[in-house]
Amino acid sequence: MKVEYINPFIESVYELFSTMLKVEVEKGEVGVYWEPPNNSDIVALIGVSGTARGTVALSFPVSTALAIVGKMVDEDVRIVDDMVKDGVAELVNIVAGTAKGKLNDGNDNAIDLSLPTVVRGTNYKVDYPTRTAWLEVPFNSDLGSFSLRVTFERMGDNGDQNDESADS
Amino acid sequence: MEIKTMKVLIVDDSTVMRKVLVEALVKLNIQDIREVPNGMEAVVALSRDEFDLILMDWNMPRMTGVEAVREIRSRGFSMPIIMVTTEADKAKVLEALKAGANNYLIKPFTHETIGAKIRETVKTKTG
Repeated sequence: MKVEYINPFIESVYELFSTMLKVEVEKGEVGVYWEPPNNSDIVALIGVSGTARGTVALSFPVSTALAIVGKMVDEDVRIVDDMVKDGVAELVNIVAGTAKGKLNDGNDNAIDLSLPTVVRGTNYKVDYPTRTAWLEVPFNSDLGSFSLRVTFERMGDNGDQNDESADS
Repeated sequence: MEIKTMKVLIVDDSTVMRKVLVEALVKLNIQDIREVPNGMEAVVALSRDEFDLILMDWNMPRMTGVEAVREIRSRGFSMPIIMVTTEADKAKVLEALKAGANNYLIKPFTHETIGAKIRETVKTKTG
């Protein structure tokens, strides 16, 4: 995965939080992993297909998921219920959808997205392009910490491993 | 027609997004709001009730937003429909407008943007 592919997703996170949540987010160092990081309470995933293939995920500690969804619906949210899962699914949908528009860049329908999925705990497996790495971008905000995780390859990419050491 | 007296149908499979949209409409003093989770139920709702405006998501199970717009127009309903979606590609926008949508709002959005988009749509529709 080329490191620059993560940038539209990072920009999308900034846009989402500044517009819908009115909260500033602060980005940490990008990490590179050969296995999907598996250390979060709640993960919202969405599949990418078409001229690119991969997975986009937002992972949250429970406290952050509750705070974010509570802010979205303007309610005091205290347990992870269907509404919270629905909320984090919508977040990854918006981040991936916004990034899709940036990545397509005039090439209509070059990239398609699946409907989002939400998993809890660490006992899950994600099928992804095995030749590509996962990039993880940690974020911090007044609503708590969370991470953006992306594994992504575009048709025609070659020798991606050489690109991945940049931010490791 | 005054915006605050409009009867609005929200069509979105996300409970949270429906709540966000309801909150935005209430801030515009719109009180008569109904919500359904997909295009199929939107078509059913229209057969039972009259609406002045529809806010329509695109990607939903059972019947997508654009399929619902086509179905609604084929049944002769002429109320304004605003697509509210992450689908920002030019081809998708054109597809929705060709199907019969009147305007397009891309997620993420602010409450202010929704208000502006509704005013613009209603003004255009009523001339």
